[in-house]
Amino acid sequence: MKNGEKYNKPSRRSFLKLAGATLLATPFFQFCKQEAARLIVKLTGTNHILGHRLWAKDFPNPSKTVTTPLLIVGAGISGLSAARQLRKKGINDFLIIEMENHAGGNAANGENKYSKFPLGAHYLPLPNAHDTELMRFLEEEKIITGYKDGKPIFDENQLTFAPQERLYYKNNWQEGLVPRYGNSKALDDAFNRFFEAMDAFRKEKAADGLYYFDIPISATTPDGKYRNLDTITMMQWLHDNNFNYPELIEYVNYCCRDDYGLGVNGVSAWAGIHYFAGRKHGADLDSVLTWPEGNARLANHLKKYASDNMALNYLAHTVTPTDSGLEVLAFDATTQQTVQINADKVIMATPQFVNGYLLPNRKKTAKNSIYAPWLLATLTLSTKPDEPGFPLCWDNVLHNAKGLGYIYDQHQSIQQLHDKTVITYYYSFAGNDTKKSRKELYSKTAEYWKEFVLADLEAAHPGIKNITEEIQLHRLGHGMVAPVPGYIFGMQKQAAGKPIANRIYFAHTDLAGISIFEEAFHQGINAVNQLLHDTTVDS
Amino acid sequence: MVKNKLSFEILLLLAVFTIATCGLIYELVAGTLASYLLGDSVKQFSFIIGVYLFSMGIGSYFSKFIRRNLLNTFVEIELLVGLVGGLSSVILFVLFENVGYFQFILYLLVFVTGCLVGLEIPLLMNILKDRVKFRDLVSNVFTFDYIGALLASILFPLVLVPQLGIMRTSLFFGMINTAIALIVCIALKKELKRQPLLLFKAAFCMVVLIIVFIFSEKILSYSESKLYGENIIYTHSTPYQRIVLTHNKNDYRLYLNNNLQFSSADEYRYHEALVHPAMTSAKKAENILVMGGGDGLAVREILKYPEVKHITLVDLDEGMTRLFKENTVLTGFNKNALNNPKVSVINADAYVWARECKQQFDVVIIDFPDPGNYSLGKLYSLSFYNTLQHILSPDAVVVIQTTSPYFAPKSFWCINKTVQQALPKTDAYHIYVPSFGEWGYTIAAKNPATDFKSVKRKANEKLRFYEYDFTRLNTFSKDMVAADVEINRLDNQILVRYFDEEWGKIQ
Repeated sequence: MKNGEKYNKPSRRSFLKLAGATLLATPFFQFCKQEAARLIVKLTGTNHILGHRLWAKDFPNPSKTVTTPLLIVGAGISGLSAARQLRKKGINDFLIIEMENHAGGNAANGENKYSKFPLGAHYLPLPNAHDTELMRFLEEEKIITGYKDGKPIFDENQLTFAPQERLYYKNNWQEGLVPRYGNSKALDDAFNRFFEAMDAFRKEKAADGLYYFDIPISATTPDGKYRNLDTITMMQWLHDNNFNYPELIEYVNYCCRDDYGLGVNGVSAWAGIHYFAGRKHGADLDSVLTWPEGNARLANHLKKYASDNMALNYLAHTVTPTDSGLEVLAFDATTQQTVQINADKVIMATPQFVNGYLLPNRKKTAKNSIYAPWLLATLTLSTKPDEPGFPLCWDNVLHNAKGLGYIYDQHQSIQQLHDKTVITYYYSFAGNDTKKSRKELYSKTAEYWKEFVLADLEAAHPGIKNITEEIQLHRLGHGMVAPVPGYIFGMQKQAAGKPIANRIYFAHTDLAGISIFEEAFHQGINAVNQLLHDTTVDS
Repeated sequence: MVKNKLSFEILLLLAVFTIATCGLIYELVAGTLASYLLGDSVKQFSFIIGVYLFSMGIGSYFSKFIRRNLLNTFVEIELLVGLVGGLSSVILFVLFENVGYFQFILYLLVFVTGCLVGLEIPLLMNILKDRVKFRDLVSNVFTFDYIGALLASILFPLVLVPQLGIMRTSLFFGMINTAIALIVCIALKKELKRQPLLLFKAAFCMVVLIIVFIFSEKILSYSESKLYGENIIYTHSTPYQRIVLTHNKNDYRLYLNNNLQFSSADEYRYHEALVHPAMTSAKKAENILVMGGGDGLAVREILKYPEVKHITLVDLDEGMTRLFKENTVLTGFNKNALNNPKVSVINADAYVWARECKQQFDVVIIDFPDPGNYSLGKLYSLSFYNTLQHILSPDAVVVIQTTSPYFAPKSFWCINKTVQQALPKTDAYHIYVPSFGEWGYTIAAKNPATDFKSVKRKANEKLRFYEYDFTRLNTFSKDMVAADVEINRLDNQILVRYFDEEWGKIQ
């Protein structure tokens, strides 16, 4: 759930202290082994029922017509960022439509009586200093409060509070995400070698002064020195470079699954390395920006540029170029009517698997992108799980677990205590067959997933079932694009992003190849800039 | 027959002896508990002895109305004494929380025990009056009675309290009482009516006392008693913390989650130093804020300034502030400060409260627990001190308890440096508190022209420690200085690490 590493910072808590605490904690859990009162299970997710109507397209004929110079389809971060960029350029006459009942896409959130919690993306790593667009946005939103010695000062309340992350490893919680306790010298050396290699990738620039790995990916050098890494899997690269240590592989596997939805066997080596090398401040500025509601905070900042022009519960289902412009048919799920939107230009801030249904002759292009499904589970616990080793952190990862661990949703609260503890568990599927995983996600019952989540957490939290009062399961069928080998620098992806007839423009993280806020943010800006550039050239 | 008669007599005289011993023990237990829990031992002992003797008189008076089944009644009363007396200390310990009724229950128990013991001697004399010559009877009964009393008064302070503790002493003597009843029941089987029922009652009482005796450790948390090495006189768990009050000689100590909060012997040093430098150097001192400090001891010091119009105390724990409003021992310490009309007590999370507060204060006194965990660490963060800015009047002075500069210099100077980041006019000072060791504070002002050495007003009563000379507290020897400390921020919580590292070495 967070990249960057604090590998060289030693843990200051002694092991003995932890061992003692383990002994003390064990009888407590044995004591309350009996089943607690039935816990409440809720099931939420993206509106896949509405979305799946694109398969059959049995929508009513248009009963209303709307005209706009510019339409944005999709109010995820890409679409919202495009709206912001339009406003910045003085363009206020546009429409934005969104299938869901809320804007933000993956940057959505839920809320219960005790806490807000993310329903998807939930943090933003500190941006690279040269990413001026993003830095400006953070200044506007007072996330950067000023500069000192040329370095940005981030609002303390929006940076992850300490302690930030811990790993359950060898029956113990340790600080940081890299396994450290009881490592052999060879393993420690391997980790050091690995991070040195990542450091080198991070720092290396091509002759043109651009980085080989950068964010957004479009800012990387065209120099193809490392492009061959996009043709092999991360696992292959680890193997080729003698990183055959199960603990190290599991660590890297975790990182890949966390950012890309697929593990080392699924993603390309270029993407795997990018995870470590794309962010330039490295371990010395190892913090992220986060909020109880996750990136919904950022989505809300962007929303103010779009909300006056936004229609929610609108499913665009057909985009047809005409002689004078574009005809977009959208189904209004609230009134159950189809609206015809006549637009001069449109920005498709939609994923490619959706574009396959909306645009003519896009099926093949659409098939090129693979999307990893995700499951999130937000648990309300009656007591704070206090365990041996290291106290509850923002990010809590279980080594070798099925899922990716969990976020402590109240971590960013300034309050001393909370009545209940709210955590959000993240699960990306193990296999590389995303279609099969998606089927599994939707076919299995809520009861099944509840048991699955509890069993996975049980290893580190014996008896967690007895303190769990409520679970909200959130299903994301097409959680994020997976940067499988050949995808990021593949021809198909580049073709998918090309504007059509100076009228249809594209903005989505699947056109960058990795699904992170920064990419979406730039996708929106770049689409608008390109559109405006083409318009200027036209006229 | 003669032999039989002898054993009958000896048995009953033995009973007199035990009753006397037990009776005095219950009296001593009640007196000790009352002086522990309510303070003022002379007054409490005097009252208890008076009430006890008086109720014995009442018991004696009523003994003349018992005419039939004398032996049966004797055994039953013996059982009642054992049960009531034995359980009295347990009841008093448990009920101490309901302070309002406590004194009533205390004296009721003393009265009941006294009455029952008062009944027994006349009753016994009545039983024996036909079997023993009156002259012998009176002499023997009173001899045993007074020997028992002597034994009890010697054993109680020298053996029983140190070995068993108060609660188990009374339970133990309850059991002896009951045992005598049991023995009488068995030995004088033929003399008793409905003996099996009586035997059952006796056995039942014995079982109750044994069970409570076994669980008395839990009730009193004996482990804690050992931990503190002092007599625990009160424990209370709130949702936030475990409050333990101990008493040892003339010293009461309050522990929160096993950390010493204050010792009644020297807390005036801590609280005078906490409050007066800020109160005397602030330009104005009308509206005062105290954060933490639910014991009301800082408020007591603030109330020494007539200029003060209003004091707001923000403490998370309602259990704590209520205790210091209602408990007579504790309100004795804070001079009933929390019930003063100038004081408003708010039970809220200080950080959240400060963020939403619309008032401004002239002096802010921050007395939070030490930053021993990440939750508490937030209350020492730069973000917190920045949050305070908007509730400070333009000339406000803030003082913060800053742990020990001797035991934890990095922690101390880390807090100081963090405060300085938010309020550039910052200074530090320290004092010696015998029960804590060397202890320190950070003082800061919004207006850079503020002079902490200036004395703009003085307390309206003589202080025991602070002499209105800030400079005397303001110098730090080499071993209390730490350079190169980072600023404590929410995202690094470096203070919690310093604190863990420094105190970890000591504990």
